[in-house]
Amino acid sequence: MPTDTSTNAATTAAISNVVGTRTRRVDLAKWALPVILLVLVIVAGLTTPGFASFDNLRAILINASIVGIVAVGMTPVTLSGNFFSLGASSSVMLAAVLFIGVFGGTGSLFLALLVTIGVLVAVGVAQGLVVAAGLNPVITTLAAGTIIYGLVTWLSNGAVITPNGADMRWIALTSWFGLPLPIYIFAAYTLVTWFVVERTVVGRRILLIGANRESAKISGTSARTTTVWAFLSMSVGMAVAGIVAGAQLQQIQSNDLPNLTMDTVAAVLVGGTSINGGEGSPLRSAIGAILIVALGNIMLLHGLPTGYRMLGVGLLVVVVVSVLHILRKASLK
Amino acid sequence: MTSELRLLAKNVSKTYGAVRALRDVTFELRAGEVMALLGENGAGKSTIVKVISGLIRPDKGTIEIDGAPADISTSQLSQQAGIAVVQQEYSTVGTMSVAENLVLGQSTAPKWWSRRSLNASARALLDRVGLSDLDPRTPVEDLSVAEMQLVEIARVLARDAKIVIFDEPTAALSDAEIVRVLDVVRRLASEGRSIVYVTHRLGEVFEVADRVTIFRNGQSSEPIAIDQLDVKSVVEKIIGRELGDMYPPVAESLGDVLLEVTDLMAPGLREPVTVSVRAGEILGITGQLGSGTAEFVQTLAGVHPKLAGSVRLNGAEADLRSRRAGIKQGIAYCSADRKRNGIFSGISILRNLSSPWLDRVSTIGVVRTAKEADIAGQTARQFAIDARRMGSSVGTLSGGNQQKVVLGKWIGIQPTVLLVEEPTRGVDVGARAEIYRKLRELCNEGLGIIVSSSDTNEVFGLCDTVATFYRGALTNVRARSEWTEPELVKEVMHRTEAAHAH
Repeated sequence: MPTDTSTNAATTAAISNVVGTRTRRVDLAKWALPVILLVLVIVAGLTTPGFASFDNLRAILINASIVGIVAVGMTPVTLSGNFFSLGASSSVMLAAVLFIGVFGGTGSLFLALLVTIGVLVAVGVAQGLVVAAGLNPVITTLAAGTIIYGLVTWLSNGAVITPNGADMRWIALTSWFGLPLPIYIFAAYTLVTWFVVERTVVGRRILLIGANRESAKISGTSARTTTVWAFLSMSVGMAVAGIVAGAQLQQIQSNDLPNLTMDTVAAVLVGGTSINGGEGSPLRSAIGAILIVALGNIMLLHGLPTGYRMLGVGLLVVVVVSVLHILRKASLK
Repeated sequence: MTSELRLLAKNVSKTYGAVRALRDVTFELRAGEVMALLGENGAGKSTIVKVISGLIRPDKGTIEIDGAPADISTSQLSQQAGIAVVQQEYSTVGTMSVAENLVLGQSTAPKWWSRRSLNASARALLDRVGLSDLDPRTPVEDLSVAEMQLVEIARVLARDAKIVIFDEPTAALSDAEIVRVLDVVRRLASEGRSIVYVTHRLGEVFEVADRVTIFRNGQSSEPIAIDQLDVKSVVEKIIGRELGDMYPPVAESLGDVLLEVTDLMAPGLREPVTVSVRAGEILGITGQLGSGTAEFVQTLAGVHPKLAGSVRLNGAEADLRSRRAGIKQGIAYCSADRKRNGIFSGISILRNLSSPWLDRVSTIGVVRTAKEADIAGQTARQFAIDARRMGSSVGTLSGGNQQKVVLGKWIGIQPTVLLVEEPTRGVDVGARAEIYRKLRELCNEGLGIIVSSSDTNEVFGLCDTVATFYRGALTNVRARSEWTEPELVKEVMHRTEAAHAH
């Protein structure tokens, strides 16, 4: 193109300035909430006697590890545009039952891990296939959770399953630098999932089908295969969470872990992963889990009953999701 | 024609953050005239439309209607002042009938009605937009896009507005269908209504507009009578500089046959298609909506299954069973609807670019990000995409830049054949020339390109060979030099309809 490139360059510069400010706003939407909430919890913690002690903070992390592992594991499913698993409680319970049962029955840790992870992956992949075939993920996972719960209750006769003398306490109690193993498992699992989502082809495809399924198809990404991968990744998280929960509780019953599904979904949402998929990160879900547990802890220290805690978590989810929605809308205008 | 002023917006300014969307704009509209609003994306056209329709409140400025100051600061006030907007997106309910959509969606909807009275009032409205042969009982989802657009116009007419704003009413229509919309626009103006007509298509402007107001960088020109303008001068005023040739020169010589389609049948095609593309050739295909161009291109892309026939790529039978197979063989495909299945709007430019070739830059499933950034960076340079913005999401870019990203992402698969539908839909004039040049450059590097477009001017200007489709069959293929543009338009409308149109 001939002539007047200077005006053109000036316009381009002006436009990129505009885009620049916009980008900054998107970044704000990305990180503002975890930071603000963290600050809030710190402030609340400082005004709450007993909160800021090492023992209490460690307790928060220990309590957050189960919810956190499940929330981190569920994040790929949310990112792929398939919402959540509403069968999280039952799946984790199943994993704990299998782990305690097989470990107690055979005394072999290896076999227990193999069976737990194997069965959970099979159950997760089956749900993934059903969702990939076009069934609504919310209904599918809710139904799967109910079926699992029903089967375990029926087969165990509602009895408490115990490790039968097999020693699994070390999984919950082994401690380095004052922090027990579950916290390290939580951290490691979060990092691995983050790597999978950000740096592997499968992870990128999960983000792409969540961002725009139709565009992904045109770009040669199979939404079905990718959905199955997302569910597979989630079921590994549930298996790990079940193993840790089993080791912590030392026994399990089908109706343990009743609030896990809600807490996990809340952790993913509070972390700021978009319900519509395509935007978010397992790291954010880990932060979300810690925040929710910390909030509950503060309320507990103030002597508020469980009902208040659930009320608090519920309100937190509503506020965060609304604010994020508004920020996202504004940044895309 | 000098009639009285219907609307005068004086010294209107509007600022969004650091962006001055409108700077001291003055805009006037006479009774019974069609005023075309032209300008690049972001020049201020849509902002002034929003001001007039009461969607946004200007920071300063005054509005007069019929010589008296008017308050149109909300959309309700704007409607009461007699201003109506025909939207680009349809607000009709698909499963309900045309009559129900026309009558019941209005604030003037009757509290109770009989099916008969409903159909009768719909009938009157449909006649006015030239849909006299449409049964008001038809569900809206059964209409063609053009009919839907006309129903949308009829909905607005039900309000009996003095000023009707058309916001790119023909963006999704083919040439023959545009004729119907333009007829209605002319009729409305002849009834004494004032029309504001926003469009990217210059051809229409010369057919329908009385005067033109051109926006550039948030400022408006004086209204110019259409007979004092030609296409070249309008484009130069829009982009604010002299225009070189809009279209690059066609190929001097063509290479070997790259893609050979023999007797291809696909869902939506009525007759088998036989056509070929050589290295260095741009084959243009054009036709009305439903003519089969979309089905033809999408079958080659592997989006729809082929039913019969053979497609040979570099002499070997091509596997068209999926997009993935197509990508492996070097078939790149840009769809007509960028937003729906082209871009990932919330995702960064970098990751949009790498989406089709992640496999190529990964080892045992792990993406080598340095290599990814490297290839994406080359593409960005080649397509003049700002490398500093690789991390910002594609949704924040203009239509032209989004289109460059959609085209650019295919460079990384090292394509043999590039299939492009509607390469410049929703792309402003400046970026348009850039995209044409880019396509020609790719072609000169030895690619074969198929461009499918409903814009005959674009097909005629850009392509080496032009094929026309009509009702599911390829009707004519000739070298560009053997076509004239009017002939091409006629062929697309398929003779009889062409006679009816003029």
